[in-house]
Parts: sequence; C-alpha cells; structure tokens
Amino acid sequence: MATPVANFKETPEEIAYELRAAEGAAWIGSRSLIGVGAFIYASLAFAYFYLRSANQAQLWRPHHVTAPTELGAAIFALSAATAALSMYGAYRFRRGSVVDWEVAGWMGLLLGALGFALQIYELTRLPFYPGSSGYASTFVGWGALNLVGLLGGCYWLETLLARSLRLRRAVAEDGGAANSTLPAARLFRASVEGCTVFWGFLAIVAVCFWALFYLV
Amino acid sequence: MASTITTPVEGSTGAPPPAQRMRNRPAWASQHLGTALIGAVGGYAFGHWIGNVIAAGYTVPQSNGQNDVAVVLGLSLGALGYLIGIGAFNYPIAKMFGREPLPEVAEEGWQRFFRFNLDHKVVGMQYVIVSLLFLFTGGLLAMAIRTELLNPTNHIFGAGTYIAVVGEHGTIMMMMASSVVIGPLGNWLVPLMIGSRRMAFPRVEATSVWLFSAGYLVILTALPLGGFPTGWTGYAPLQNQSTAGMDSYLVGFAIIGMGMILAGLNLGATIINYRAPGMTWGRVPIFVWSVLATTALLVFATPTLVVAGLFGVLDRTALTAFYVNEHGGSSFLWENLFWFFGHPEVYIMALPGFGIVGEILPVFSRRPLFAYKVGAAGMLGVALLSFFVWQHHLFQSGINPDMRPLFMLTTELISIPTGFIFLVGLGTLWKARIRFEPPMLFALAVYFNFLIGGVTGVFLSDVPVNVTVHGSFFVLAHFHYTIMGGLIFAFFGGLYYWLPKMTGKTLNRKLAIWHFWIMFIFFNLTFFPMFIIGLLGQPRRVFEYATRLQGLNDFSSVSAYILGSSFLIFAFNFVWSIYIDPKRAESNPWGSRGLEWQVPTPVPHYNFERLPVVVADPYRYDEPDQGVADFGTFGDPALSPGAAPGERVPHGHVQSSDDSGDFDPRPPII
Repeated sequence: MATPVANFKETPEEIAYELRAAEGAAWIGSRSLIGVGAFIYASLAFAYFYLRSANQAQLWRPHHVTAPTELGAAIFALSAATAALSMYGAYRFRRGSVVDWEVAGWMGLLLGALGFALQIYELTRLPFYPGSSGYASTFVGWGALNLVGLLGGCYWLETLLARSLRLRRAVAEDGGAANSTLPAARLFRASVEGCTVFWGFLAIVAVCFWALFYLV
Repeated sequence: MASTITTPVEGSTGAPPPAQRMRNRPAWASQHLGTALIGAVGGYAFGHWIGNVIAAGYTVPQSNGQNDVAVVLGLSLGALGYLIGIGAFNYPIAKMFGREPLPEVAEEGWQRFFRFNLDHKVVGMQYVIVSLLFLFTGGLLAMAIRTELLNPTNHIFGAGTYIAVVGEHGTIMMMMASSVVIGPLGNWLVPLMIGSRRMAFPRVEATSVWLFSAGYLVILTALPLGGFPTGWTGYAPLQNQSTAGMDSYLVGFAIIGMGMILAGLNLGATIINYRAPGMTWGRVPIFVWSVLATTALLVFATPTLVVAGLFGVLDRTALTAFYVNEHGGSSFLWENLFWFFGHPEVYIMALPGFGIVGEILPVFSRRPLFAYKVGAAGMLGVALLSFFVWQHHLFQSGINPDMRPLFMLTTELISIPTGFIFLVGLGTLWKARIRFEPPMLFALAVYFNFLIGGVTGVFLSDVPVNVTVHGSFFVLAHFHYTIMGGLIFAFFGGLYYWLPKMTGKTLNRKLAIWHFWIMFIFFNLTFFPMFIIGLLGQPRRVFEYATRLQGLNDFSSVSAYILGSSFLIFAFNFVWSIYIDPKRAESNPWGSRGLEWQVPTPVPHYNFERLPVVVADPYRYDEPDQGVADFGTFGDPALSPGAAPGERVPHGHVQSSDDSGDFDPRPPII
C-alpha cells in the first residue's frame, strides 16, 4: 500500500540547503550532459578522421562526393539560429523579460524542429549509398546523431516553455519567473541556463561537422 | 516554519496525490513489471512488423532471409515499450505539458521492488536483484563452457553453439560487472554516506535500473536468434557477417551503456552537490571517492560504446560501411572505439571494488584508513590514466608498431596509482588486530586475488609477453583474477557488510564463512591452472585442444563446479536469513563510524530526520571520543544556539550500535 511521506518536516534551513543543492545539480547535470555529448560527437569525429586517413580501398571519398550542400547549410543555419535565439532569450530573461525569452524560445523551437525535419529529409535525398564510401558512412552516422541532438535540445526547450506558461500565475506576485525567490522559479532559471548552454554546445558541434562534411 | 517533503497536488481536497492513485489501482491497471513485460512484447511485435514493412523489398533479407532491420527495430521498440510499461516515461511526457514532478511516495511491501520507484534504497535493491540475475545466468553459462572443455575431442555442443555460449557468458558478465557495485551499493549507499536525503535526479536513477534490466532481456534474446560468434568484444568484420544474435549484442550493449551513463550523471551530481554540511572533500568516504572516479568514466567513456554500437547497427541495417574494409570503412575502427570504452570499463569495474575494501578494512582492523588522501588520489589517477591505455588491446592489430612503446608505458604507469590503493590497504592492516568476519575475509581475498591479476597485467602490458600469450587462456585467467577475484569478491564483501543495514536482517555467519572459503579456494583452483594452460598454448574460444592439456582442464572444470556451488550457499543464506528465518539486525553490528550506520534500521524513507552536520571523517578509530556528525542541530536554533546553518559544530554525537530505535532525540553534546 502506498502512502505519501507523512509526518516528516524539513526546516527552512534544510529546504534552502537542498534547494541550493538542486540548483547545483542542474548546473552539474547540464555540463555533464554536454560532456556525454562531447564524447559522442568526438567518437564520430574519430571515425571521420580514422577512415579518412586509412582511405581503405581508396574509398574514403571517391570523386569528392558531397552531401546536398544547400540542405546541409540550412540545417546548420537552423541549429545556429536556435542557439542564438536561446542565448538572446536567456540574456533578456536575466534582465527580467520573461516574455522576450518565451518569444525567442518558441521561435527557436520552431527553427530547431525545422532543422530536425530537414535532417530527416536530407537523409532521404543523399546522392550516394550509405555504404558506398567512408565519407558516406560517417555522414549517415552524423545524420543519426544530429537527429538525436536536435530532438533532445528541442524537447528540453519545449518542456521549459510549457513550464513557463504554468509557472506564470504561480510566481506572478513574487516578481515573475525571472526574479521570484520561490523554489520552482529558481530551479526553472537553473534549467533555462542549462538548456541555453546545451544549445550553444549543439551549435558548436553543428559548425564543426558542417565544416568537415561540406567544406573540407 | 517547516514544510513536508511532499507537496500534494490536490492536498486541499483530501484526495490522494496522482502517484498514489496510480499505485492504488487494481493490479491490472497500475504500472509494474508485468505491464513492462507486456509493453516489451507489444513493442517488439510492433517494431518487428515495421521492420518487415520497411525492409521487405531489400536485397539482403531476400537473399538470406535475415531481416536485421526488423530485429533491431523489434528489440529497440521492445525496450522502449518496457520502459513505457514500467512508467519511466510518465513524467517526461507530463513535463511536455509543463507539469511539476509528482510527489514522492513512500511505498511499503515487496511490490515496490517491481515498480518504477524513486527511493534510492529501493533502486539499490532492484539493482541487487537484477545483478544477481545477471550473475547466475552468466554463471550457468560458465558451467556449460567448463562442461564442454572436460574433453578435448568429444563434444556436447557444436562449434557454433559453443562460441555462442562463450560470447553470451562474456557479454552478460561484463554487463553485470559494469554495474554490479555502482548500481546496488552506489545507489543505496551514496546518499546515506554523504548525509543526503535524496539523489540529485531520482527519475534518472530509476530509469537506469530499468534500462539495466531491459539490457538483460535483450541480451538473452541473442541465443534464440542464433548467438554471436565474436565473444564479448564483438570484433568486426565477424560482427558484420554474423546472424541476428549480433543485433541483440549491439542493441543490448547500447541499452546497458545508456543506463550506465544515466547512473553516472546522477551519482556524480549527487556527490558534488548533495553532501551534508561539513562533509568536505577531505571527509568524503573512500567508497564515495571511488564512485565519483567511476562516474567520470561512466559519463565520458561509455558514450563511445553507444556510438560504436550505433555504427554497428547502421552497418547491419542501413548498410553503411563503418567497419567494412572493402567499402572504405575499417574493422580496426571498431577495435579503437570499443577499447576506448573497454579499458576504462575495466576500472569502472575495479574502482568501486577498491572503494568497498577501503570501507571494510578500517572497520575490522579498528585502524584509521592509512593515507586516505593518497587512496583518493590513486582512484582519480587510475580513472584519468585509463583513457590513455586502450591501444594495448591492439598491440597485434590496428596499431602502428612505433606506437607500441608509448602505450606499453602508459599501461605500466597505471600500476602506480593502483599501487597507491594497495599500499593504503596494507598500511591500514599494519599491526592491526583484525576481526575475521565475513566481509573482512572477502576484502582480504580481494588483495590476494588482485595481486595475482595485477602482476600478470603488468606482464601483459609488455609487448613481447603480450605477443606471446595474446588470445590464450593466460589472458583469460588474468582478467578473471582482476574482475572476479577483485570485483566480485569485493561485491560479496560489500553485501555481507551492508546487507544487515539494507535489509534489517542478519545473514547467517557460518554459512557466510563457508561461502567465503569455498569460493576463495575454488576460485583459485579454477583460474590459476588457466595461466599454465595458456602458457602451454591453449587458445580462448576454441572447444578443441591438445589432449595433453586435458588433465589441467578437467581439474579446472571440477573446481569451477564447486566454485559455482559456493554461490548457491550465498543464495540459500540470503533466502533463509532474510525470508525464512529472519533475525533482526542491529543498527550498527560492525561498530562502524560510517554515516550510513548512524541511522536507524530499517532506514527511514527520508534517511535523516535532520540533515547531519559532519564534524570528522569516518575513519578515526584511534579517537573513540571523536564524533562523526551532529544529528540535530542543522537549522534548529533551539538545539544549536548561535550556530549558523551549515556551520561546523565542535562536538558530535554518534549513535552507538545499540541505538536501534528511532532517532536519538537528545540534543548533541556541546
């Protein structure tokens, strides 16, 4: 039989202590997540350079075949734009304008989702077979990993935007989500900050792999 | 003013919170292991059908009848259905609608172990159950291997079946070993040891254990799907050529990997942020240091395994050519990616074992932990260096020969911080009056076994020896000495040490001692002859061998049967002492100074009634009057006049072993 945790009281000092811990956990958690992502994309980069230098059967990149450049540039631009909007929104949020962050967030979410859709579309329009070369294989791998990254980033942003809508009324009398000292608002701010950094990371990754797959 | 730990969403109406309503539903309508299994079967069927729709026209399934797309989608969606069925996605979906987390619910009864539960102690016990399932399944497969090797020419299995059994045994055991300490003991103990009431991310933690069990189910499907011929290392190009059992390997390892990453994220964030006031880095228990070092490996090394698995899956389904030499890929790419994870994996397994031993030795020798900081530094050093040694697995393939000396050097370097950890243990035991209780026996055995495993590891890091014994039973004996002789002995030591706190019951001491001696003696009699067998030239993973080696192999096999039976003693002891004839355990039966022993048994849902204020490290057995922590002053001005929140209080009160009731209501001695 399930029972809620009853008769257990936390003192205000304990609540404050654990709230600080939760804020710290959000910071560490988001940075650790970026660490996980860094090693995921580093593994892909290792595969790229390993196969490129090995050039087995002269099949690293026959005839310098390239994935659809316009689509690739658009996906990169959308990722970068989402990151830029997230950062601008977070900048405005820190200055107390929750609405600016929400508008930037919804715009960013839209662009991120568009980038996700374009990435799927691009994978169906490749001018090479996935197994035709080392380049082709790593490109398909990049497509799959980029989809995971974009989906994760969009999910995080969407949950924050949805939370922001629900939080509005709860913190209205306490200065709004940007200024309130209520625990829910403080944790919300920590998560917004983490999400912004995560999108910045995704943008850096997008730049690196765009250069590798389309420019080099 | 104080608040409750829960904030019932509909508390004002008197209605139970949603999480509780879900639990109170009839069994068929609530979420538990049964619904998870239904979700898994449904997900598998749906994924398999989708895969058939997608790939029915592909050339490969038409030519050999094997549709890897269907199998991979079936296994992946099966795992997804399993998680949905258990309720792991309830909150992530609710979050998309901006909802708050549901309030925590303290469940009683055995059913909680079969649900998605957020209490770290329940998750720890769930890990114990799944880890033992892994261990016994892998152990049965080991018995099958040793039975086949009783005779060099007459066979029980066909060659394909034998290698499938070997691969399944190795993979199951490695999956188990990667989480066997971090999962059960890490999750159960870390919050208690650092003075926290909760984990940083309890849902992430709970998801990790259900991913762990999903990985178990997925890897089990390998055998009916034809097994995989690669052994646990999954080398390409054999990986690309094998039957659908390989899909189970790749998907299963990726699922386990995701669980490991989540477990690492949660434990790392918890240790860094949720330490109690006064729990400075210099007072963090050595086991927690070992977990922290391991979390770094889990978070940074395991993603490579997941990506390597994804590339393998893409090769087998989307027909990319990551590991196909003829199409611009390279089979050595798998070796590099796999071992970039695989060697830190060895320390993911070993470090928590060292941490357990570091906790047990001071308690049973009544001595402070010798050179505590050196031990902690050694663990961090091992974790760091483990990222720079992976190429020693490629000494005979896929490496520029000029690079061999460099990786030989880095591999040998790692013996230095490992030596730190050894010396910490030996220094603690120096001139000590040792109590030979079951946990201590297992801890001492770790030193004996790991010494043999470690020294042979130094041999193997040398290129000439490596080239000579590569792929032989010598290597097999080496890693069984390190992993089973180190980690599994430490795991059992930890179980005997902490189970009285975890279960509130006392395990039978005589049976525990019988278990130890049989396991210790026959472990050595099983695996030591394998060094000789290997030096005499018997290769791994081959079921026919020179007839002159039959005597040694038979000796090893018979020893292995007795070794296997020692686990049955543990299983009997566990069931007998916990369920059939339970005897209540004291609150602190070993007289430990660890924070986890200062709370009542059974441990309350919220761990500590007041957050403790830690005043000393837990190893000061030479200062019996020195308290460990203050259990009543934090944030309570009435009990701690003038003390600011989190401020260190000069003297502490430690509950003694006979304080088995509720929290001591007395104010601390000031």
